[in-house]
This record gives sequence, C-alpha cells and structure tokens, in this order.
Amino acid sequence: MAKLVVENLKYRYPLAKNLALNNLSFEVKNGEFIGMIGPNHAGKSTLCQALVGLVPQFFRGAYGGRVMVDDMEASKVPLSKLASKIGIVFQNPFSQISGVKLTVYEEVAFSLENNGFSRSEMIDRIDWALKLLNIEHYQDRNPLSLSGGQMQRLAIASIIALKPEIIVLDEPTSQLDPQGSEEVFKAVGNLCTQGLTVIIAEHKMERICKYAQKILFLHQGHLVTFDTPYQVFSHFNLEGYGINAPVFTNACKKLEVKLNNGFYPIKLDEAYRKIGAYYEHR
Amino acid sequence: MVIYMGPMGLYQSNNSILEKLNPITKLLYIITVIALSIIIPAPQMNLACLLASVTLLIIGRVFWRLIPFIGINITVLISIIVIQGLFMAGNKTLWFQIGSLRFYQEGLCYALNLCLRVFNILCAFAILLLTTKPSDLIESLVEKGLSPKLGYLLCAVLLIIPQLVAAMERVMDSQRSRGLETEGNMAVRIKAYLPLIVPVVLSSLINIKEQSMALEVRGFSSDLKKIFLNQQFSPFYEILIQIGLLTTITLALLRRLFLWLS
Amino acid sequence: MGNKKMTFRGFNTPSLVLIPAAVGINYIGKYFATVLKLPLWLDSIGTVLASILAGPIVGALSGAINNIISGLTVDPVAFIYAITSIAIGLTTGILANKDYFSSFQKAFGAGIIVAVVAAIVSTPINIWFWNGQTGNIWGDALYAFLVAHQHPVWLASFLDEIVVDLPDKIITVIFSYIIFKSLPQKLTYLFSPNNKIETL
Repeated sequence: MAKLVVENLKYRYPLAKNLALNNLSFEVKNGEFIGMIGPNHAGKSTLCQALVGLVPQFFRGAYGGRVMVDDMEASKVPLSKLASKIGIVFQNPFSQISGVKLTVYEEVAFSLENNGFSRSEMIDRIDWALKLLNIEHYQDRNPLSLSGGQMQRLAIASIIALKPEIIVLDEPTSQLDPQGSEEVFKAVGNLCTQGLTVIIAEHKMERICKYAQKILFLHQGHLVTFDTPYQVFSHFNLEGYGINAPVFTNACKKLEVKLNNGFYPIKLDEAYRKIGAYYEHR
Repeated sequence: MVIYMGPMGLYQSNNSILEKLNPITKLLYIITVIALSIIIPAPQMNLACLLASVTLLIIGRVFWRLIPFIGINITVLISIIVIQGLFMAGNKTLWFQIGSLRFYQEGLCYALNLCLRVFNILCAFAILLLTTKPSDLIESLVEKGLSPKLGYLLCAVLLIIPQLVAAMERVMDSQRSRGLETEGNMAVRIKAYLPLIVPVVLSSLINIKEQSMALEVRGFSSDLKKIFLNQQFSPFYEILIQIGLLTTITLALLRRLFLWLS
Repeated sequence: MGNKKMTFRGFNTPSLVLIPAAVGINYIGKYFATVLKLPLWLDSIGTVLASILAGPIVGALSGAINNIISGLTVDPVAFIYAITSIAIGLTTGILANKDYFSSFQKAFGAGIIVAVVAAIVSTPINIWFWNGQTGNIWGDALYAFLVAHQHPVWLASFLDEIVVDLPDKIITVIFSYIIFKSLPQKLTYLFSPNNKIETL
C-alpha cells in the first residue's frame, strides 16, 4: 500500500542543457520519515517540487516518467487538488506568507478560503493546525512580527490545514537560527508521530540521522541510493560526494568503532556509549 | 512629502456609526456625489453635497482628520486660484489689486468653483477612507463579484509597503555606513539613487519565484468560489440606504434627460 | 499567427505576484527621490519594470493598481491619474515587445516616447480637473506665462506637463533598463508565456 510512487522521473528546466532529475525511481510508504540529502545542485529542490506537481506544472520544461500520489498523477492533476494529498514547505518563511492577511489566524485561513471550505470547517481546521504546530498563542499577531522559526511553523500550519497525508519540506531550516531550526524540527517530528509521511531535504546530517527512517541520496540528478541511515552512512564515502557525515560518526569510523549490528553509530547517544566503551576497553 | 501608504491607510478605528456601515454603501455614496456633480454641474449642487458630507463626517467623529487629506492638494489649489485669477482668458472685471498683481472676478469665480468641486469629491471620499479598513472594502468588493485575484493584488499592495519601508531604512543605513554620499550637488545625489533602490528592488523580484509557488500550492489558482473567514453583513436599513442613493442618481438623470428633451 | 503568439504575453501567477512588487518599487523610487531631494518624481520605475518583464497588460495593471491604492490611502485625486499610469504601462510593454530594451540608445528612445504619451494623456485630465495646471512650480510658471500671452489653455497645459515629464520619464526608463539588464535569466523567463511541456 505504497502512497507515493516515483517511476523513471526525468526533468529538464527550460533554457537548461542538462537534466536536473535523471531517471529516478523509488517508493515511499505510509507514515515514513524520509531524509533527502545531496550536495548543492544534486536536484533536491527540483525533486521536492516534482513530488507536489510544481515540476512540471509551474516550471514547464521537459518531463518524463511519472509521480503517483495515491491515484493522482502529479504532473496532470491541478495543484490545488494535489494539495489535499501532498503539501510542500519552502526555504524562506518570509516568501510563503500570503502577504494579504493581518493575523496568524487569518493567514492559515487563506489556504482554506481559496479552496472553498465552509466557515465552520475553516475554524475547526485552523484551530487544529495552530495547536499541532504549537503557535496557537500567536494567533492574533501579525505574521510579519514573528521570529523565523515561528514564521516557518506558520507556513507549515497553513499547509497542514489542508490535511495532506504527505508533507515535503525543502530545507525548511536553512534560513533560520539554531533555535528556530530546533523548533521547526520538533514540530516536523510531531507531524510524523501524527501519522503523516514526512519527506525533508536537509544538509545538517546530525538532524537527518536523529529523525529519518530512510535516506534518499541524490547526486547530479541521479538517485545514488535509497536506504536506511545506517546503510548510507556506513557504506558510502560521503566526503567524496561533498557531504559531511555527523562528526561523531566520522570519529567512530576513524576508531573503527561499530555497533553490534555491524554499522557505525549515527546518533549521538550511540556514539557516546560506544566510544566510551572503546576507551574503557583500551 | 512622502505619505505613508500603510495597510490601514487613513483609517483609525473609533466605533462610529459610519464605521459600522458596509463599505459598499459608502462607495455608493461617493458614486452618487460624483454623478450628481457631473449631471447637475451647478455650484449649489456641489455646495449641497459638500454640506451633506461634512455633516456625515462630523457624525462619524472624523471631521478633523480631514485636514491632512486636503493638505496634499492645497498647493495646486492655491496655484490655481492665483494663476486663474491673474491670467484666465476671459478675465474682464477687476476685483482687487495687490501691488501690480490684478485679480479678476471671472478667473477667481472660476477657480473657487473648481475648488468647491474638488473639496466636494475629497469629502465624499473621506467618508469612506477615514472610516473603513482597506482590506474590508476589498473583501466586500470580492464578495460582490470583483475578481478574487484583483482583490488579492489590492490587499497585497497595502501590506507590501510597510515591509519595503523597513527594508529601505536598512539599506539606507548600510549604504551610508559604506560611505555612499547622499548629500551634495545634484550629480552626487543622482549617483546615489541606484545603489539605494537596487538592493530592495532585486530582493523583492527574486522572492517572486518562491512566493508564486507557495501561492499555487495553497490553492490560489483554484476555480472554486472563495469563502472569506470574515463576513460582511448588510442589514435591512442599509439596503434601504443603498436603494435611496441609487434612486437619487436615477432621478437626477431623468431630470437632466427631461430638460434636454424639452 | 505564429508572430502573435510570440508577442502576446499572458497571465501566470509570477506575473500576478510581480504587480504588488511593482507598486512597491514605484513607492521606493518616489521615496528615495524625495530623500535625495531630486527634482523628479521617479514614481513609475516599478510599472516600467513590470511592463518590460511581463508585457503591456501586466504593466498597465501595475499602473492602475498603483493609483487605486494611492487613491484609497493617501489622495483620492490619484484615482483619475490611473489613466496616465495605465498608458505608461501599455506603452512600455508594447515597446518592450518591439525590442526597445535591447540597447541603451533604444531605451533612451523608449523614454522619450513614454514621456510624450504620458503628457498627452495627462493634459486632458489636468484641464478637466485643474484647468490645465500641474502644481509643479516650473511647469505652472510656464503655464502662467503662456496663458498671460493669450496662448490656448491646451497648449499651455501640455507644455506645463511635458517639461516635467520629459526628464522624469527618460530617467525612469533608463534606470529601469539598467535594473532589468542586471536580472538573472532564471528570473526573467518566469514571466514569459507558458510553453508546452516537452515529453522526455
């Protein structure tokens, strides 16, 4: 019962020479937390946009293969209709604010107003979304007066209010300070425990290792691998691709310290325990 | 003089009767006043409408806030009175003289009549603008059938200005701290212009891509009929006012038509 | 037929989002002109940029909305001058489609054309509303001189307007051209018509 199926996906931007996505195929199961990694220009943003139909519907260009979200084909179904199945959050929280609403509450309502929900349904959904993202006490504030982390959570709430089953986040913390990033990651983790499928592009590997069940690893538009974080960080030379594994994972690699299942530790507590044991043994 | 074009415009909440009226009713009032001043261009008509508007402004407790509103146009009005009084083509009857400046009755009457017309229109607008939140006006127009995309544009413009003002102040500080000269002769000042505006212009243009994508996935292009969270009500008495205003325009038109035919 | 498709530029979401940005740029332009005490308005750079980027219709809409909002928030008289702003947007957009923004010299020519069109459109409004005056000191002085010497009001009014418009619009168009040239191609193609999606 796979929810999201990508088959032989290829894409080239208008005016570009090279493919931004080159023959990708993978399946994401219901409720999974997927981390998307890769160096700059690996195609992470393009893939995020392809999953929600913006590629090719917004950008046009040349497209092949298909993305299926349940029974909807992402390149053909209108974007507003897809939004009830799969939502997307972008890098810059500032540019996702509608720019026409004066309060946080009304800002979330904007998505619902466009989709013709009744007033009572709107109010139910807004209250639910604000609570889920833990911003209900800011509901009367002007969206522009929020901090980066709060504004990004508002952007997520505005998407979640449409009740999608999958949410795609394209480096949602790249423009935030450490505290804001932490807030956003906690909120996203919370969405996953609510049963949503989460797909997140991110360049801080520590965070990916902490939350993700599987990793989509892209390089120059190709899918290098789609596997568990343990497999990816133990069996791939990530530095060769320009990606920095967590510091403690690298330390364990240097020391040849492995977990009982034969993989290098990828979480801080695992590494801490193993390295402690290693020094005790010596 | 640069006037702040903020999200609230000239509106300040004061819980008056005028504030509680539906924006459409107030808009209809402006249309009535302009229509009357075109259909019956007599100064008496303008004066009657002006008095009506002023009465309403006093009832709405916003009369004094009219002043900045008229202040913007005062220089051109004074300039008109002076130049028309001195030089208008049909000037014959000398009214008074200041030094060698000879003011004529025809030109002054013409200019004063013109000022009356301008004041009349300004006061009618003041009733709407001083007592209505701009976004309420736009939303009620969308509910009456204005294209929602046009409604979006109007609201977005209202909110973008304060953001830009904040961005401009940041740019101004940072460019000055880098040694950009903003004072001196004209050449220096013209040279300073582009370095000041370009950073704000570029960042607002570059944001457009992500903004458009975010709007798309939030159903901006959806064909469904939009329903607004905040609803505008039109109670029964207000519908009566609206009908009354429309009847006034019709009667004036009929009178004009009748005079023209006979 | 094919040619028509090339020049007509339709409406997509980026073009729509461009409009509030354009009005904002108009405002910034005017603000800095005032701060620097320049004897020019420079209040239509956004409208001109929108016309170059997304064509005459989007440009005209930017101009119209610019004046509707000033009319709603600052000065109702701005409403009637929406017609001038629309004319500036349309003219620039048509000139852009005719490739007037490919070189500096051509852009200068475009500035002159835009100035003349703006003055022609404003004159009847000035005559109807202000009996031909503009409120600008230099322009009105010229107007007074001409009217005092028995010249017709329409001529005095047109000259009153154009002495202000000519330098203002030429510099506006030149500045817009300079900004336009510095924009990345990745941005400018967003506003072009939606092409067919090619199949790979």
